[in-house]
This record gives sequence, structure tokens and C-alpha cells, in this order.
Amino acid sequence: MTTSTVKVAMLSFAHLHAVGYATILKALPGVEITVIADDNAERGQQFAQMFETQWVPSIDEALAMDIDCVVICSENVNHKPMTLAAAKAGKHVLCEKPLATTVEDAQEMIAACDEAGVKLMTAFPVRFNSSIVALKDAVHSEHFGATLTVMGRNPGTNPGGWFVDPALSGGGAVIDHTVHVVDVLRFIYGAEVTEVYAQSGNKLAGGVSDDTGLLMFKLSNGVPVSLDTSWSRPSNWPIWGGVTLDVIGEFGVLFANAYNNNYDIAETTTPSYTWQAVEHTGDPEMVTAFIEAVRNDTDVPVTGVDGLRALEVALAAMKSAETNQLEPVTQA
Amino acid sequence: MFMSTQDSAGKRPATAEELASRPVRFAIVGTGGMGGTHAINLAGSPEAEVTWLVDVDTDRANKLSAHIGGKVTADMDEAFSSGDVDVALIALPTGLHRMGVEAAAKHKIHVFCEKPIARTNEDAMAMTQICKDAGVTLMVGHVVRFFSEYMRIKEQLEAGTLGDIAMVRGSRVNPPVMERSPWFADVEVSGGVVLDLMIHEIDTFRWMFGDVERLFAHGLSFTDWHTKRDHAIASLTFRDGTIAHCEASWAHSAFRTSIEVAGSKGLAKHSSFDSSTLIFEPSTGVEYEGIGQQSKQFTYMRPVVTPPHLRELLVFIDCLRTGKPVPVDGDEATRTLIVANAVLDSMRENRVIEFNEDGTVKQA
Ligand SMILES: NC(=O)c1ccc[n+]([C@@H]2O[C@H](COP(=O)([O-])OP(=O)(O)OC[C@H]3O[C@@H](n4cnc5c(N)ncnc54)[C@H](O)[C@@H]3O)[C@@H](O)[C@H]2O)c1
Repeated sequence: MTTSTVKVAMLSFAHLHAVGYATILKALPGVEITVIADDNAERGQQFAQMFETQWVPSIDEALAMDIDCVVICSENVNHKPMTLAAAKAGKHVLCEKPLATTVEDAQEMIAACDEAGVKLMTAFPVRFNSSIVALKDAVHSEHFGATLTVMGRNPGTNPGGWFVDPALSGGGAVIDHTVHVVDVLRFIYGAEVTEVYAQSGNKLAGGVSDDTGLLMFKLSNGVPVSLDTSWSRPSNWPIWGGVTLDVIGEFGVLFANAYNNNYDIAETTTPSYTWQAVEHTGDPEMVTAFIEAVRNDTDVPVTGVDGLRALEVALAAMKSAETNQLEPVTQA
Repeated sequence: MFMSTQDSAGKRPATAEELASRPVRFAIVGTGGMGGTHAINLAGSPEAEVTWLVDVDTDRANKLSAHIGGKVTADMDEAFSSGDVDVALIALPTGLHRMGVEAAAKHKIHVFCEKPIARTNEDAMAMTQICKDAGVTLMVGHVVRFFSEYMRIKEQLEAGTLGDIAMVRGSRVNPPVMERSPWFADVEVSGGVVLDLMIHEIDTFRWMFGDVERLFAHGLSFTDWHTKRDHAIASLTFRDGTIAHCEASWAHSAFRTSIEVAGSKGLAKHSSFDSSTLIFEPSTGVEYEGIGQQSKQFTYMRPVVTPPHLRELLVFIDCLRTGKPVPVDGDEATRTLIVANAVLDSMRENRVIEFNEDGTVKQA
């Protein structure tokens, strides 16, 4: 293991996960946030100040600097141009999910990184969450037996902004919240989704994007799954949302609630009642894993293909919600 | 003395006036888990009297009779022709509901039939028609409509405080029941966990959101697992665009229910476990004889003022006495059953099922 400093460029703070990732990067030894590139000057400057680094308006300026890798937290449609530019500049990429908004875009991103010899990691922090890691062990233990059914949920508050503009996000709640749980299931079972039925709606916010989604799908190991992707948490919900998995097994039921490690607090000032994280695991482990892969030139633990597989399910689900039919999920 | 309704002038159903003038006389047909509960509730109510306990297992009926009184017979016709029955409460295994309801209707006796109304849609439609033709009132025991928590949420929906409803979830989990009542183990006979438990969510959501437009379901009912445990999940889309997720399970260790209703102006949810008001936690390492059957188990409960199973019967009695329409008649219960059977078909055949406006299944 080398001790050299890993230099990171943050490309866009459009997705506010960037704040969490930057906070983790800032605290990691041997890591430097060299630059923040953001075409939104006010936002870029604000976060540059917060993370004590410089701001540049264009990613080209950032990519021309002495950096090792980039963390992309742009609007979903901009993942592709930013990833292609980073690959061309020879920089490793950690890209926010969903990897892209079309299968073709994701394939192009994967191919470009392969050809350039740079690592491409999809930001799937939930599979690094300690309860999900423990769940993986538990479902494979003989005490649990066969998995018979899984019910997943990734509900949240409506993020608004570009998330509800399909031209920028590629969809709405279904594309936003399908991919985490699908990735977790692929991680746990090493299986692919084979077919999906989904229904979606936009009655919560009444916007152009979907804000409600319910998927029913099957894994290649035969396990049936349901997944609720809805932005069903009201804006004054005590927490942003969560990820839960109920796994019905031969000898019992496992209930995972990945972001339940909270304390409840009621303040007489606004917001009056919230659930605040005691310790939410996943993000630090994921960011660290990316940095260590860059530092040590090892494989990233979550690949671009992982991002593509999850995206394929989300896109098939969106199609099913249109056709009201079971749609096959094919792996490109 | 009460007037016999089966007098020489020919049988006729007990009239509203007769029933308003005295306690309503019930024959409990099937004195198992559900029939026993109804019998005990009714025996404790001044509005009702349990005159007969009918069960092929007369030992079981006799045991109940020792507690609450009532004549015992294995032959329901004996009870129905005795002249002291106004209402037959049918709590037989589901596949026998039609037989019980038909027998009661033949004797011009009003009927309260446990849910599901029947195993097959054809039986349900025939039973409904037979009761109409006989001029007897039929109500089906979709009891969740009488649980306070579901009634409160229904009130919220009617008041519109949650806005436009988009996503709802309902869950009903239970330990396996096949050891206690083996007829449940054969899905063709009982309809498995879908007709036992999920039918409650289906009926409750139909009550709240109207008719179903399409559905898709997964589950264990048609796999080799179903004789030991059963579990089903379904996605229902209602005509008003509401999307529902239903879970029904015979794979857990304790009974729990939950509901969550998310709308454009807010969210309401309830979980029987989270809202328990009395919990018993057994100590380990101590021999404790404790509080009956469940002394060795973690037990939770919510004592209720009026048990929902009694509330539904008091409403039924009130309808009989006033001529008001019953809240769940044969047609209503049939529409719920058609959806539940479609869940089973979807699960068995792995296909999406669409419904016509009149609640019937669209042929593929
Ligand atoms: N609404 C609810 O909450 C609820 C709960 C449980 C059951 N149920 C319904 O109640 C019905 C009965 O279920 P259960 O759990 O009480 O079953 P159970 O097996 O405990 O009881 C059925 C009883 O019927 C008797 N029986 C069978 N065949 C008979 C016949 N030909 N004549 C007379 N008696 C006969 C059996 O001996 C048994 O005592 C089912 O339709 C079920 O769906 C409703």
C-alpha cells in the first residue's frame, strides 16, 4: 500500500449526496479534495468554502488539474458526459446512481472507462451498510434455510428540483429508488432480475415525473420480490426515508432496516420532531473502498456493470408501468 | 314466550318488528376458532341470545355450551327447524359456507356468514341469489371494517385530510394455522393465506378506494412450501389510481397487522404491534407458570372496549331491526372474493389480471 495522497475532484453538487461524500473524503487520511467543479457558481462556491477547497465552473478545468479521480454527483443525464470526459483525462470515476438514464449511455460509459484503463464505480452505499452485510450472512446461514420471498422498500421524501424533471433525471421515483434495493439483492444472492411488473403514479406531487412506484419481480434463483420505490414520505417526516427488507425464509423471517439507528428528538424550534442518525453506515465504507481501490490500484468493489444491471431493472419497470404487462429484464 | 317464526302458516324470515322487540336468537354453525369467538361475544350481549351450537364435532360444541349455554346438535337442520333461530351464523370451513347458507335460506333464517363468503366465485353468486330469493338478509363478516384503527383511517380518507391517496400498504401476518385446523393446508379447499388473510386487505382497500383495475401477485400457495407455511404479496391498482401492496403470511410467530396510507397531503399508518398497550415479556432462566397458554411467549395486546367481532354483529342486528342495508352484503363480499381469487390465479399462472368496470375479471 502506498501512502501517497489521493486527489479528488468533485464534479457537481447537483445531487446533495455530494455533501455527504465530501464530508467523508475530508475526514479520510491521505485524501485531498483538490477542486469542486460546478456550473452553478453559487452552489460551487458555497461548497468550496465549506470543504476548504477551490471552485471552478467547468469540469474541463478540474480534469486538467493534478487529480487521481472524480466523484460525480450531477443530474443523472450528466453522468455520461462527465464520465466520458474523466475517462478521456485518465481519471478514475465514482459515479452517483443511477449510473445513467439509458442502457446505451451506461454501456458507453463502461466501455470508455475500460478503454481508458480507469476504474468506474457506481455509488451503491446500501450494500456497504452493516445491517445489509449482516443480512447477507444471515440469509445464507443454515439456520435460515431457503429464501422464499423478499419485500423491499426504499421510500423517501420527494427530493424535488431536477429529480422531478425527467429530462434531467430520466424519470422519477422508480428510477431513483429501484436501483439501491436491486443492487442489494444482486449483492446478497448473486442473482439477476429476470422479469418485472410495475405500477407507478404521480398523485403525490401531481408533477410530470412518477412519484409512486411498486415493483413485483423475480430473481434468477426463483425468489419473488416486491419493491416500493415511492416518495411517499411527507415533507415533514422525521427522517428522509429509509431502506427496509423483509426476508421470508424457510425457518424464519429477517427484518432489515438499514437506516433505523437513530435517536428521536423533539425541539421547540423547527423542525419540531426528527429522527437523527446515531450512526448510519454505508456511505463511509463505500467512499473509503473507492479511495483504497484508487490508492492501491485494485478492483473497485462495485462496478459500472453493477450500475447497468440495476438500471436495466428500473427501465424495464418503467416500461411495465406503461404497458401494464410483465416485462422481461435482459442483461446487455 | 317468543313467537315461532316457523309457524304453521308457512316459514317466513323474522321481521324487523319481531327482532326489535327481543334479543335476536342465533344458531352458531361451526364452533371452532371463529364460531367460538362469536358465540362468546353474543352470549355476553343483551341484544342477542345463542340458542344453538351446531358442529359435527359435538364435543367441541358441548364444551362451549357448558360455558355459555345453548342446545347442541351435529345437524344444522335440527336447529334451523326448531323455531327458535332468527339468524344462522355460519363459521364453517370456507368450502362449506354455501351448504350452511343455503340450508338457512331454505328455512327462511337470516344469515351472517364468515368471510370469505365462499371458496369459489360461483358459490358466492349462488348464495347471494338464494338469500335474495328467500327474502333473508345476508351479511358477510368482513370484520376489518369494524376495527377502530381502520375506521379512523377511513374517516380521514372521507374528510380528505390526506389529500389524493397514491400508495397504500397493508399487512397481516400470522403463525401457520394448518396444525390447528388441517383444512387450511389444502389451498384448493381453503384458498390458503390469500382467502384467509389477504382477503381482509383486499376488502378494506376496496371499501376505502373502490374497485380494482388490475393486479399481480407472488406467493407460496402453489409451491411445495404451502402445507407448512404460506405467504403472498400482491400489487393492486385501483380505478382511482391508488396502488396497494398487500402482504399475507402464515410464516411468522405472532399475529400482527399494519396499514399505511400515503397521500398528497400526508401519511397515516398503524401497526398493531407498535400500538400495543400491554406487553408480557417472559423472563428467561425462571420457571414461571404465568398467565395461561402464552406464558412462555412474548405477548402483546391492545385491550378494546367493543371487540370488532361483536361490533360487526351489533351492526348486523341493528340492520335487521331497522331495515337498514347491511354494510357488507353478498354482492359486496362477492366482489372482494373475485379479487382474492384473481390474486390466487395471478400467483399460480404468473400473469397480470385486469378487471371490468363491473368487478368481473377481463378475459385474457
Ligand atoms: N373474520 C375473522 O377474523 C376470521 C378469523 C378466523 C376464521 N374466519 C373464518 O371462519 C371460518 C371458520 O374458520 P375457523 O378458523 O373457525 O375454523 P375451525 O377449523 O377452527 O372451525 C371450523 C369448525 O367447523 C366444524 N365443522 C366442519 N364441518 C362441519 C359440518 N359439516 N357441520 C358442522 N360443523 C362442521 C369443525 O368441526 C370446526 O369446529 C372460515 O371461513 C374462516 O375463513 C374468520
